[in-house]
Amino acid sequence: MSKTIRLAIALFFGLAVSAAAQDIKVGTIFPLSGGAGPDGQSVTNAVKLMVEEINSKGGLLGRKLVLVSKDDESTPAVGVSRANEMIAEKADVVVEGWNSPVTLAMQPILARAGILDITAVSKSDLILSGESNPLAIRINSSNGFDAAVIAKYVADTLKAKKVAFLTQNDVYGNGFQTAVEAEFKKLNFAGQIVTTEKFAFKDTDFRVQLTNLKTLNPDAIIVTNSSNSSGLPALVDQYRQADLKSAFVGAVGIMLPTVFKVAGDANNGIVSADIYFADLPPFNGIAESNAFVAAFKKAYGVAPDKSAALGAAALQVWAHAVETTKSLDRKAVAEAIRGKTIKGTLFGDATFLPNGQLQPRYVVFKVVDGKTAKLEALP
Amino acid sequence: MNIAQQIVNGLVLGSGYACVALGWTILLGVARLVNFAHGQLYMLGAFVTWYAIAKAGLPYPFAILAAILVLAIIGVVMQSAMMRLVMTQNLTSLMIVTLGFGYMLQGGSALIFGGNPQTLPGTLSRAKVDLGALWFTWQDVLVFVITLALYAAVWLFTRKTRFGSVIRAVAEDPKLAELFGINARIVYLLVFVFECAAVALGAALVAPRSPILTSMGFNEVIMTFVVVVLGGIGSIGGALIAGLGLGLFIAFFGAFVAQAYTTAAAFALLLVLLVIRPEGLATK
Amino acid sequence: MTAIDRHRVNGPAPWRAVGIVALTVAAFFLPRLFGGTSVAYSTLTTIAIFAVMCYGIDIVLSYLGEVSLGHTLFWAMGGYAAANLSVKYGLNGWTTALATIVLCLVAAAFLGAVTLRTREFVFSLVTYAAAIVAYEVAFNWDAIGGSDGIVGISALKLPFGFATFSGATQEELWPIALALLLLTLLFIARFRRSRLGTAALMVQMNPALAASLGIDPRKVRLAVFVISAPITGLAGWLYAYQRAYVGPDMFETYFLVMMLTAVVLIGRRILLGPLIGTAVLIVQQNLLSLGGDWNKIVLGAVLALVLILFPAGLVGLFRRLGMRRFPTKELKGETS
Repeated sequence: MSKTIRLAIALFFGLAVSAAAQDIKVGTIFPLSGGAGPDGQSVTNAVKLMVEEINSKGGLLGRKLVLVSKDDESTPAVGVSRANEMIAEKADVVVEGWNSPVTLAMQPILARAGILDITAVSKSDLILSGESNPLAIRINSSNGFDAAVIAKYVADTLKAKKVAFLTQNDVYGNGFQTAVEAEFKKLNFAGQIVTTEKFAFKDTDFRVQLTNLKTLNPDAIIVTNSSNSSGLPALVDQYRQADLKSAFVGAVGIMLPTVFKVAGDANNGIVSADIYFADLPPFNGIAESNAFVAAFKKAYGVAPDKSAALGAAALQVWAHAVETTKSLDRKAVAEAIRGKTIKGTLFGDATFLPNGQLQPRYVVFKVVDGKTAKLEALP
Repeated sequence: MNIAQQIVNGLVLGSGYACVALGWTILLGVARLVNFAHGQLYMLGAFVTWYAIAKAGLPYPFAILAAILVLAIIGVVMQSAMMRLVMTQNLTSLMIVTLGFGYMLQGGSALIFGGNPQTLPGTLSRAKVDLGALWFTWQDVLVFVITLALYAAVWLFTRKTRFGSVIRAVAEDPKLAELFGINARIVYLLVFVFECAAVALGAALVAPRSPILTSMGFNEVIMTFVVVVLGGIGSIGGALIAGLGLGLFIAFFGAFVAQAYTTAAAFALLLVLLVIRPEGLATK
Repeated sequence: MTAIDRHRVNGPAPWRAVGIVALTVAAFFLPRLFGGTSVAYSTLTTIAIFAVMCYGIDIVLSYLGEVSLGHTLFWAMGGYAAANLSVKYGLNGWTTALATIVLCLVAAAFLGAVTLRTREFVFSLVTYAAAIVAYEVAFNWDAIGGSDGIVGISALKLPFGFATFSGATQEELWPIALALLLLTLLFIARFRRSRLGTAALMVQMNPALAASLGIDPRKVRLAVFVISAPITGLAGWLYAYQRAYVGPDMFETYFLVMMLTAVVLIGRRILLGPLIGTAVLIVQQNLLSLGGDWNKIVLGAVLALVLILFPAGLVGLFRRLGMRRFPTKELKGETS
């Protein structure tokens, strides 16, 4: 046997042995402190749960998964530091993103280092624009799809004649409003947009806007407020106090558990939509989803919310793609996800657009009892 | 009806600003001490009130007292630590030190009270008043009344009592006051403690309007800054008028222009005023 | 001419120049010493950039003795100038750097002129207010980036006539960051010895003497503030190319607190103080992080306690300990 072949065999076995001994590093970067701390903690817990589940089934490619979770403190500069730490620790994949600016700052860093980056929750359209990361993947829905659902409900189901907007004044809120207005045009919406009131993300007092809206008395007010821990519950409370008769239509995904917990039955009657519910169809008919919900309840004492589901799904999708391609290479795995369908996730069949966006399935709901977050799915 | 309701909204907002600004303006006027921990003290006052009501089961008035007490003690600790810098009037270092204290309070509160949002039950913020087409809550009334009473009390105190004139003497010229036998140390200590107590009261009254988070503070008190400078530093009556005026400005600017830009507008106004009318701010 | 004067006229000892060159070369190879990984390069580049950011506020704080709470404004201006001009108009690094310097000078001149007649702490309040207004503008003005900011900032390009220096990777950006840092150190060293620098120091230490010498403290404050702005601005400029993303987060207090802590930690008016302070803070954040909440407590405590207990910084503490151990030994203190 020639020297080269002997060397090659030795290397091959050496690599095989060391590969089996090497764990696969899964990194998560979410806010674990500060205002979004509890939310980020919930998503990280969900990823942790998935990692444990995969390990209990024998791991991935015969190797064990190890979770490394870091806190981005909702600050882009800190997120960049954490991303660099992930690179130094040679993470094989990073699941990240609660605040869009943090995601946008981390993307180029991870992309340059060749680490696969899956964005779980951040909603900015720039994440998938390809400039920071040509192989981006995002689990949460985008404003474009969200707008279609809400516009359809307001135009076709509510058949509202006068509509107003109460919009958070940033790219997310304004983007959603623009998208809804575009959808209205597409649907040949007969109604009229009477006014737009705006507010800052950090605002907790909305009396001035609500007073303006009450005077105009629209049939429906489309509310976009992503401050689920303080602004939105305060808004809901003040909405009821101001005794507005207009239908409260919330943008997709804003009715998170904290909103129910804080505003309680002021939430009754709110209509919104979201892309995951532990106990509503079609999700309560998906085996993986029920298994996840049961495991989450057992481990953490509460049912998982949409954000937790996004984190868990991110890991599931990645794990399935790794199994299919039998590789951890960033390009190979990303291309097994983007534009493809991954079966057997807690979302059921997860179909991704070529730009990396997961195609969402929406459930439009009405809040029946705000205190217990009991919802009624609307057709 | 819109205008009338916006006037009510403006007064509600304004009395909140004025209430929170009182301590700051006196501190700034007397000790020339910019307390950058003001926002975190507000947050802490709100959380102590919450803890007293929700965990210790105290009724609301006692919770307010608890908040005032706790923050007063913190004020004593902070001021004692800073005393040397205050006596040497090392203003630059003092500003940075209060910034540092603010950070410590934020981190510490997050560790003690956690990151979840909390509401303050047992207050009057849910008790609505409907006056024809107008609406507000009894809590709003409480804030308004107590703010006016507090301002009146403090104004009378500084004008009519001996201790009030002592404070004004120290504010005028600390070295000269010391020559007259006034213990400036005690004055500074009491003024700082008053600021902490006042912001605790403000927090206990205003914070129940919305859920509280340990990460809050900056936004809640940013208007304080504008109120104090607009009203004239150290001027009690000025702070009240500026507070209410600012509230009305925000309500009307928001109603007829754009609510989202009110912070920018308020601060731009502040900058303009600082440029064209720096009275009370000019060098001695 | 005495022996002392002759010494000064001949300039600094040749040993010193050799030492500086040696240190510079060593610094250049520092990332390789730490493993040569892209993370080593990016961490050291970040330290260099943040240190330059701190030197801007250092000039105002250490030499003039006043607190500018608005230096994040210049930091952000540099970042936004680099981002907007390179993404929208494809301008090269020299042009964007020039734009940064001009914008910062203009903004600082305006703010400084506005506070010409006010008391010191009002100067701080005005800079604070200016930073807030600028933040609101940057957040709401979609044309310059809006709330999400600008992504996809292309690599830094510095054409040198026949060749173009490109900063596409962290390895390539490091020499530029180091060069910027060295230029800043050179500038500060010059400034300390200059007329303006000594005037500023005199205004801080002995205003009466300064007045008797005809120095106008407010004009000095304006001049010092104006020249401090482009330093922090250029740091922000390079940061935009390093991070490839610029947004309203450039205005966050995170940067302001880092700047202030780095300056006061080691000691004021020490040439390498801000650099060492920055390195310490970044190392703590990356390697010794105690979690977001404890980090805040530690950072706040350091900031407050250093100023209360050791106003001369850690260097002052060592000096005091040194004096206690060797009370009779004459200390060769460096000129402060």
